[in-house]
Amino acid sequence: MSYPSDHTSPPDPDDFEHRLARKLEAREAQRAKDNAAPSGWALGLRYGSEFFGGVIAGVFVGLLADHFFGWSPIGLLIGVVLGFAAGSLNIVRAVKSMQN
Amino acid sequence: MADTNPIKQFEIHPIAELSVGGLNLSFTNSSYFMVAAVALTVGLLALATSRATLVPGRAQSVAELLYEFVAGMIRSTAGNDGLRFFPFVFTLFIFILMGNMLGMLPYFPVPGLHGFTFTSHIIVTFALALAVMTVLVGFGIFKNGLKFFKIFVPSGVPIAILPFVIVIEIISFISRPVTLGVRLFANMLAGHILLKVFAGFIIMLGSVGALGAVGAIAPLIMVVALTALEFLVAFLQAYVFAVLTCIYLSDALHPGHH
Repeated sequence: MSYPSDHTSPPDPDDFEHRLARKLEAREAQRAKDNAAPSGWALGLRYGSEFFGGVIAGVFVGLLADHFFGWSPIGLLIGVVLGFAAGSLNIVRAVKSMQN
Repeated sequence: MADTNPIKQFEIHPIAELSVGGLNLSFTNSSYFMVAAVALTVGLLALATSRATLVPGRAQSVAELLYEFVAGMIRSTAGNDGLRFFPFVFTLFIFILMGNMLGMLPYFPVPGLHGFTFTSHIIVTFALALAVMTVLVGFGIFKNGLKFFKIFVPSGVPIAILPFVIVIEIISFISRPVTLGVRLFANMLAGHILLKVFAGFIIMLGSVGALGAVGAIAPLIMVVALTALEFLVAFLQAYVFAVLTCIYLSDALHPGHH
């Protein structure tokens, strides 16, 4: 009984393990790439819009107070400051949710 | 020379004039694309599910994939009871996705008019965001009663600064629809302007002679690459909008744990 010259040895059991390990590694790398932090442009736009939204909402509330209670311009001034605070809070929340 | 104005694409043209009680309710190219998006979605989904089989065919498996995708997104962000919002989130996601994708077509069936992305107008995205907020507040109060307002009162805050914190929380809450709308709008606007600016370079360079025509290859490559990127952004922004909707809606389901 003779084997063809290039199949003299039985298949190496380690070979399968090796291939499997390589496949798993490739998949892990792909997953890491998928889960990687978004690009700087996307992050910047995200945080920027969070902060911008806070300030705009603060201005809106301030102007509303001015209009209905006649506090002009105190309502707007306080609204802007509180809007800055709300914007910062939004950013902190966004960062927190992205780290999870 | 051809018109290279990069923001001409955002112009709104009435197709059919209509005025109700002094209000201009004309059917515009924006309305046309909204109707087209809805009609295409309904038509394609009806076609895909009309001959539903146990082993799905090609169209049916795409429809099922879409369902699984949105359902998985809701489950992972708002939990299993978030699934009661599935019709709402699915509608929003599909509508925005279709609008973004139709906006990528440089084509309009009426001569003399141009392709249009209705999500690149802030009033559209803001209205969608306000719809989300209306559902959030309405459902939150309906389900939890006054306990819903606990989302404005974080736990463990000293009583002295509590009123201050509540005001900031309320402003932060009001800023949600602004953020939601602005993010989608800004992405679509910026992307489409960038595309048209680079496309304009091709025409400008091409009109200055042979050397310019050779040089125009560089912006052409850029436009091809940007178009691919823009397709990605079109999908991603629809996804982001839907995910944020789910996160916000989970507040209505479980107020109190932020």
